[in-house]
Formats: sequence, structure tokens, C-alpha cells
Amino acid sequence: MDGSLLFQSLILGILLGGLYALLAAGLTLYFGIMRVVMIAHSAFLILAAYLAWWFHRETGIDPLLSLIVTVPLFFAVGVLMQRLLVARLRPVTLTMMSVLLTFAIALTIEGLLGFVFSGTQRRIQLGYSGESIEVFGAHVAVVKLITFGLAASSLAALYVIMKYTKFGQSLRATIQHKEAAQLVGIKTDRVAGYGFGLGLATAAIGGTALSLDATIYPSLHWHWIGPLMAIIVVGGLGSIPGAAIAAMVLGIGQSLLQIPMGTTWAQTIFYVALFATLMLRPQGFFGGRLAQRF
Amino acid sequence: MPSVSKVFVAKVVVFAACAAALLTFPSWAANPYILSAGIVVLSYAVLSTSWNFVGGFTGYISLGHAAWFGLGAYGTALLITKMELSSFVAWAVAGVLVAIFAIPVGWAALRVRGASFVIVSIALVLIMLLVFQSWSDFTGGSNGLVVPRPFPDMLRPEHHETFFYLFAALLAVTLLCWWLIDRSRFGMGLKAIREDEDKAEALGIPTYSYKLVVYVVSAFFTALGGGMYALWFGDLDPVFQFSILIGSYMVLMALLGGVRQLYGPLLGALIVGTALEYFKLEFGDTQFHLVATGLLLGVVVLFMPDGIIPAGMKLVDRFTPERSSIREMTAAQLLERDEEETSERADRHTAATGAATPERTKR
Repeated sequence: MDGSLLFQSLILGILLGGLYALLAAGLTLYFGIMRVVMIAHSAFLILAAYLAWWFHRETGIDPLLSLIVTVPLFFAVGVLMQRLLVARLRPVTLTMMSVLLTFAIALTIEGLLGFVFSGTQRRIQLGYSGESIEVFGAHVAVVKLITFGLAASSLAALYVIMKYTKFGQSLRATIQHKEAAQLVGIKTDRVAGYGFGLGLATAAIGGTALSLDATIYPSLHWHWIGPLMAIIVVGGLGSIPGAAIAAMVLGIGQSLLQIPMGTTWAQTIFYVALFATLMLRPQGFFGGRLAQRF
Repeated sequence: MPSVSKVFVAKVVVFAACAAALLTFPSWAANPYILSAGIVVLSYAVLSTSWNFVGGFTGYISLGHAAWFGLGAYGTALLITKMELSSFVAWAVAGVLVAIFAIPVGWAALRVRGASFVIVSIALVLIMLLVFQSWSDFTGGSNGLVVPRPFPDMLRPEHHETFFYLFAALLAVTLLCWWLIDRSRFGMGLKAIREDEDKAEALGIPTYSYKLVVYVVSAFFTALGGGMYALWFGDLDPVFQFSILIGSYMVLMALLGGVRQLYGPLLGALIVGTALEYFKLEFGDTQFHLVATGLLLGVVVLFMPDGIIPAGMKLVDRFTPERSSIREMTAAQLLERDEEETSERADRHTAATGAATPERTKR
């Protein structure tokens, strides 16, 4: 294996890891706030990708512009979903039942996508989709850079929101200790709804980024759900930094393993990491102290 | 109490009627297609009853039992084609091998509870799908794998009829095993885990080994169901054998019927299985059956998490005099009742003191 190939894979791995980190951050948000395992996250991802593709086909405008519509839309859907569906579940069985509920939502989305757009594989053709630039001797496709840029800027925005806004503070308070947050006057129900919306908004961005560079079809979300779930378990359920680190490590690992093993077998790294985590540290490797209790 | 014996007689009559209807089904099924649909429903019943060993007793929800189903099917097929075992020997051996394989998997998966367990169970199916698709020179990959028929000289209707009875027998054994565990001390321990695992452990129940044993039993029966399906259907494809959809059907059926009941998964399989066959017939290639499954699962989870049988029993209870025995309530239900009462009290309090609580005043 020569050095430039290795370097190229490393760069691609970092770019891929960024996208994984964005999507896994959404998942940990739901889990942190509500103890909800959102299986439908990747289904919404594919939905956003389809919306971007459809937008591009109908108008011919760059699919990135569809974000103007999809991000607020997904935010609203997330708030409604939390208020109307998730909040109705019994608190005692919330974690288990939320899995089944969001699983049901995922199936419905997949079915509707197949119904409306048919099972045909779709791909966006862009003017710049074939272009690549050279970074220290490695060829990197422009779309991958755009994807990474989107992921990085949304993660940065998420960080700023969580750290410096009043809403972010009350969200973090709700995550840390719900009852205490209520005692200091935070309306945790409302905050939880907005937090859910925020998580789903990341799916809109991630899905649009995905549509630039991937062939999409309705059942594609099953390919995403495994790696994403593995990432949040390895990172420790509910820990955003943990998810980001795990996403980076596993994304790079997958990319490097593709050279000797091929694309399909490289995917197994997520599952190997998942089972290894359970054997060694069931609560996750990075700061996840919540996982074992749920 | 005379009413007890009446209930007992009624139970026996209903059981006999259902069993008779089931066993004579092949003779009154209109055509071989209906008969094969009946076999599909029976196989679903076997699978969801097998799933209910884990889901019903311990409350651990596995969305990934399709992994055991697929391994049972592929194990049977591969043992016949590569090892040249005879069909039913291969079927039994595959079941045992899958059970052995389930030990380390269960050992890892059962270390975590709740959400993490569900995630692991999903990962299990995805990893199996990946392996069986990629390892194509052994498993046939996406080209599929043809399973030699156990009764090569039977005609199709006769073949269906035979397998209908084979599935019925397997279902009977699975139900019997569930019933035996339900009434045993072992079953008591498992149900204690379902209600409150920490307290169960504090009471001296070896929770971890109990969970593991029942997980392996569940995997064993699921694999037998899968192997039987392989022998009957004769053609395997990783996408269908290791599909999360199959695993979710098992959960949906068991939840819909009621996971605490012996016949819950059977009833669920009857309803969902029939509906699925109907949707596939009517809407064919469209993805409508996915939407229907999704919506139905959502409705069950939101409004009927205990299943049809308890809901029906509650309805019957309304019209009969109140029972003198202590009604069985789960810790979850008790907590919920308490919470409801507290919130009602709070509501009354708010109503009494008027709407001018600090929260509602605008700043």
C-alpha cells in the first residue's frame, strides 16, 4: 500500500467522519433530552435527500437551496412529533416503546417514499459533481468537501446554540437533570419539543448533503441506521462529544479498511466496534454515564 | 366457586373449537393459494411465539430476531447441500447450532438494557445481512440458495398440506414450552426481571443467566421456524431472510395480541399475517404494506401497548361482577395510576385556585 493512497483514504475518512458526527449528534440529542432512541432519524435523512432531489429536478436550482425550506420544515415536524406522539408514551416504558414508535415512523416514511417516488434509484447530476481538487497530492471530490463544510458549520452552529443561547442552556439543563430544570422554572416539555426539532433539523442538513454524492432509494436508511446506532453506543448514549469522537474514529477506520477489505466488509467495523464496546465498556467509551441505566 | 368450573369448561370448548378449525383448515381451504397463505400465517405464529420467550417474559424487545430466523433457514439449507444431511436431521442440527451461536451473542447483547439492547438486536440483523450477501461463494449471495425439497415426489397441494401440519405441530410444541415456562419458578424469575430487574436481582434471582437461557431458547425456536420455512419455501435470499421487517413483524404480532398471554402472539399473527397477505395480494408491488405495517405498529404502541387480549378482557370485565381476587397489575401500571392520580389532584388544585398560577401569567 503506498503512502498517497493511505493519505487519500485518511482525508476521505475525515470528511466522512464529519457527516457521521453531524448525524450522530442529532441522535444523541433525542436520547439526551427524552431518552428516546430515534430509529427514524435515518429515514428522515433519506426523506430530506429525496426532497432535495425532487427540488432539483423540478426547478433545476442547486439542491443546497432546498435547505431553506427543509430545515424549518423538519424542525416543525420534530416539535410536532415530540408533542403529539412521543410525549404520549408511558414514562416507565418510554425507552423501549419509543424505539418501536420511531421504527413505525421509519417504515411509514420508507413506504410512502416508495409509493410516491417508486423504488427506482435516483441521483442528482450537478455541474460540479465530477470535479475534484488536489489537497497535498490527494484528490478530493468537491461534493465531499461541500458535505463536510455543511456538517462542520452545522456542528459549529449546534455548539454555539447549546453553549451560548438561553435556549441551549435550558436544553442542557433539561438533559442534565429534568426535575431540577423544572424547579428553576424551565418549561422542560417545550424545551424537549424544540430539542427534538433541532435534532431533526440536523437530519435535513445531513440528508441534503448526502443527496449531492449518493445514489438514493427508499430502503437506503437501513444502511445508515446501523453505523449511526453503533456510533452512539460506542460514544456513550447521550454524549454529544462522545458521538463526535466515535464518528470521526470509525469514519476514518472505515475509510482506511476499505483499501484491504473492500467497501462491504469495511462496514463491519461499526458492528465489531459495537460488540467490542458492549464487552469492554457497556456504557460507551467517551463520557457516557447514562447508557447503562437505560 | 362454580364460576371457575364454568370458565374452565368454556376454555376447553373454545380451545377444542379453535384446534379443530386449525386442523381441518387444509380440507376447507378454497385453493392451494389460500392454503399456502395459511402456512405463512402459521409460520408467523411460530416466530412471534418464539420471540415472546424473550419479549414477553423478560420485557427485552428484540427487533433482530430475523437473524435467528435467517440463520435457521440458511443453516438447514447449507447442511443439506454441503453436508448432505437428510432434510429433517439438518433442520434439527441447524436449530441446535443456532442455539449454540446464540450463547455468545446473548452474552454480549444482554449486558445492556433497554435502548442499547434494541440497538444491538438491530445491528445483529444488519451484520448477518452483510455477511450473507458478501460471502456469496458459500451462501449464494444475492443470487439466492435453492433448498432441496424433503418430499420430492409430492404434488404441490399435498406438499402444502404436509407442511401445514408440520408448522402446526411446531407451533404446538412452542406454545407448550412457553406455557411450561410461564408456570415454572424459572418463569416467575423472568417475569420479576420484566417488572423490576434491580429488585429481582436483590431478591437473589440470577437474572443474567435466566435472561441468557431464555434468550437461547427463543433463538432455538425461531431458528426451527426459519428452518421449516426454508424446507417449505425452497428458495432463500439474504434480503428476505435477514430483513428487519421480519423481525418487526414478530414484535408487532406479539404486542398486538398481548405479550403476557400464551395465545397473544398467535392472535396477533392471525390478524397481522392475514392482513399482510391481503395487502400483498391487493397492492402487489407498491410499498403499501410498509405503510400499513408502520401505521398499525404506531397505533398499537400508542394506544394498545398491552395488546388486544387484555383490552378485550377489560371489556368483558365491565359486564361481569367484580372479581374478588387481587388483580394483577404491573409495577409500570401501578406507577402510572399513581402518577395519574397525582396529576388529577394537581389539576383539581389548579382549577380550585383559579388560572392565575405564576406559570400562566404573561411576563
